[in-house]
Amino acid sequence: MTNQPGFLWMLTALALASYACRAGGFWLMRFIAVTARLEAALRAAPLAVMVGVVAPAALRGGIPELTGLAVVALAMWWRRNDVMAMLAGVAAVAIARACLA
Amino acid sequence: MTQGRSAAIESRRNTFTRHGVRRGFLAAQPLAIGVFVYGVTFGLLALGSGLSVVDAVLMSATVYSATAQVAALSAIGQGASIIACVSTVMLLNARYLLYGASLRPWLGQAPPVGAYGSLYLLGDANWLLSMRVHDAGEDDAGFVLGSGLATFAPWIAGTLLGGAVGHWIPGPRALGLDFLLVAFCAAMLMGMWRAHASLWPAMAAFIAAAAADRWAPPGWTVVAAGLAGAAVAGWRHRDDPRPPSAA
Repeated sequence: MTNQPGFLWMLTALALASYACRAGGFWLMRFIAVTARLEAALRAAPLAVMVGVVAPAALRGGIPELTGLAVVALAMWWRRNDVMAMLAGVAAVAIARACLA
Repeated sequence: MTQGRSAAIESRRNTFTRHGVRRGFLAAQPLAIGVFVYGVTFGLLALGSGLSVVDAVLMSATVYSATAQVAALSAIGQGASIIACVSTVMLLNARYLLYGASLRPWLGQAPPVGAYGSLYLLGDANWLLSMRVHDAGEDDAGFVLGSGLATFAPWIAGTLLGGAVGHWIPGPRALGLDFLLVAFCAAMLMGMWRAHASLWPAMAAFIAAAAADRWAPPGWTVVAAGLAGAAVAGWRHRDDPRPPSAA
């Protein structure tokens, strides 16, 4: 399918679909008055999305993933540096997987 | 979300400058390595599915979404129609509608070219990072563009390398990098947590995520959690003793 016209059409369609999602929400908000209530809802979205990313990992994770989450929590509690906590969590997962493999 | 926040918003002037772009670019660097390794993996996968390096890089540069690209590759491999592939991409990227909407009050102040260009480069991690720093007082929307560039570039470079060179790097799983976004979210969650404002939206998001993870097709977990959390925060807004902010 290398550079066949069919693939390029497909790619164009997929690119448009992807960008429609990226720009669509932002564009639609032009027509919606941002009330205080809506602003409160939108401000809570990042936190809720983060819960949505962490929850499945916590619910179906094995020992490495749960260890990783515990390490992130400990690192945050100790230093409150999210980059360091993130890297420590990733390292803990890699080490735990290597040990359990 | 925070006490005294509405006053801060009113007095803040939103801007879009190269200083903001630079700050965003630098702040997102810790995420770049993970994105790069994922790019390499996608390059390998695309090669395995019969795409040329050029096709793989084109796809990464235009679709720019790991999950959507992998799903589209597998759908194309099964001979799916354009409509089926487009639906897959839209489903997996539906969360971006919410991301874009939440950026409106801030990024809407930027010139349209800057705003829509920044949205082209929007990813999960750089959106979360941007919302976090905005919450902490960053008012330069260039940050969104800068952090987007910092994650877009390694995605393209990784795809190119994976498609061109092949297997020389261990899988992202062995390096724990599939956990990078989870660890990032867990850390930021603790950093952003506010005792009164966060509990109920987070509970709603957790329940929605658990339900969607179990019963909905892939791609819905984050959307369900985001919408549930945002809905509860909006609904509870009247309980807030603060006067409403001038939006």
